Amino acid sequence: MNMKKVYLILLLVLAALFLSACSGRTVTNNWPGLSTDGERAYLASGSFVYAIDVKTGKEVWKYPESASGSLLFFATPTLTQDGQLLIGSAGSTRSLVSLDPATGKEKWSAPFNGAKGAWEAAPLVFNETIYAPNTDGYLYILNMSGGEVSDPIELGGSLWSTPVTDGTLLYVTALDHHLHVVDPATGEIKNTVDLGGGIPGSAAIGDGGVYVGSFAATVEFVQADGSHEVVANTGNWIWGTPVLSNETLYYADLSGNLFSLDLASKTQNWGTVQPDGPVVASLLATENTIYVVAEEGKFIALDQDGKIVWEKETGGKNYTTPVLAGDLILVAPYQAEYALAAYDAEGKQAWTYTPEK
Amino acid sequence: MWESFIIQPMVNLLLWIYDVLGHGPQMFGLAIILFTILIRLITWPLNASQVKGAQAMQELQNDKEWQEIQKKYAKDREKLAQEQMRIYQERGINPFASCLPTLIQFPIIIGLYQSIIRAMAATPLDMLKLARTIYPFQNISEIIPLNSKFLWMNLGQPEGIPLPFDVSFLPHGFPLLAIIVALTTYIQTKLTMPNTPPNPNDQASAQTAAMSGTMSIYMPLMLGWFALNFASGIAVYFITSNLLGIVQYAATGRANWSNLLPGGNKNNQAKKK
Repeated sequence: MNMKKVYLILLLVLAALFLSACSGRTVTNNWPGLSTDGERAYLASGSFVYAIDVKTGKEVWKYPESASGSLLFFATPTLTQDGQLLIGSAGSTRSLVSLDPATGKEKWSAPFNGAKGAWEAAPLVFNETIYAPNTDGYLYILNMSGGEVSDPIELGGSLWSTPVTDGTLLYVTALDHHLHVVDPATGEIKNTVDLGGGIPGSAAIGDGGVYVGSFAATVEFVQADGSHEVVANTGNWIWGTPVLSNETLYYADLSGNLFSLDLASKTQNWGTVQPDGPVVASLLATENTIYVVAEEGKFIALDQDGKIVWEKETGGKNYTTPVLAGDLILVAPYQAEYALAAYDAEGKQAWTYTPEK
Repeated sequence: MWESFIIQPMVNLLLWIYDVLGHGPQMFGLAIILFTILIRLITWPLNASQVKGAQAMQELQNDKEWQEIQKKYAKDREKLAQEQMRIYQERGINPFASCLPTLIQFPIIIGLYQSIIRAMAATPLDMLKLARTIYPFQNISEIIPLNSKFLWMNLGQPEGIPLPFDVSFLPHGFPLLAIIVALTTYIQTKLTMPNTPPNPNDQASAQTAAMSGTMSIYMPLMLGWFALNFASGIAVYFITSNLLGIVQYAATGRANWSNLLPGGNKNNQAKKK
């Protein structure tokens, strides 16, 4: 019978250990967010936001100075024209923080604390107003000092992507399958369109409407009046934002297929191009080259015909969309030996950055 | 292994039920309840054998032949063990019959917890993981994201009814579900406690009785603590499972309802005397 008691205690301890390992609060982890002003790269990766000199790959500052258990950063840091770097926390403290991009010092932090969810998406700054989408399904409207300008707009569904604007209206995608067309002047939702699948990426502004990829494995063209049509089908979920360049729409799916759609003729520019595993990040299109980061740790350059020009191993997993900083392309792999790497147009690695532990 | 044999089937079963229910508001909570009922039905024979096994062991403690054997071989542990095995064989008692179902329950609880968290997919990385968990036959793009609202709860977060004032040790508000979990666990544990007094000559029997008493306090506290701190979906599972357990035990006719009353067990023992 003593054994039975030991067995019982063991079971209780094991259960406690297993469930504790699962964590009481949802474990928050995600891939890094990356942006640049050409001189510095801003990397939101877990407990810190880092500023890295693009020329040297050296760290300029990090925020906060020491890790806080309640602050976690994964959204793409947003640079504003009035010299702020906006970033929201996905940790248990859901503050939206404004930093000085030069020093990393806080300009303001959490004058507004109303968000119930994590900040996964970067805010949009339009007409000196911050439109901040939150996973609680609300679009928060703040002034440039972080004060609430008006009541948040309830859109429903988790908001994981940055709103975009055509100069008049805002287009906000939601995970609950909807694209919302919002009039920022009145806060009115002009139209809501069901696209048949979750939309984790932003819309891409096109001529007279927006292009949206979704988990329904389609790219749809949606106009402000709510009319919409499927312009392309894929075999799997589309995660990233379609990229429009010279009347061509570039996008990828989770099966790893890359697409180049000629919008004038609505035909694909190339056949099957599937370089290396699933593609989650958006593509980066420059004048002659399309850059792709594939989940399995490859960084690939393609020409306009879809032919691979070069490919590099980044290590880790690639989910973060690469960004262009002058002549360099910045790549932020997840769980790799380094947090950020810079490559030139020929695929030569210029530097890597690893945060100090 | 754990992923392929526990998490993946559980997530898919949960999502399939959710889809069949129409994947609207409240439906994920209902899916958890139906899933729990299904698991209970599947493990019904095991639970029944646990009840039988426990009952047989309990009856053995008060068996005259066994008590005499214990006296006779009190100083010969080896012979006592041999006799014990003989009696087990003769009477068809499996000493592990009461342990096995409990052992099976734990992976289910842990798997269910991980499945709920997986299905909720709170971050893009979680969503990507979920996409790879789902079997091809599922109507994945339509059912994702799950509607995590159930009654007043978000099933992916710890439960709590907002209070008009801040209480530092109750960050999620008034923990109604945790209290119900603790209460139903207490009722279930008390109902299954023996209604016969432990044999005073049998040290093992006295130990078992003491252990049952300890269990009736610690189990409700432990599960209540889980419900307080973990995703409320797991609390919905605990409550459903406890209620079904109570019903199942009551159906065997062995439920000791008087144990629920203060001093109920003592009154029971007095009546027997």
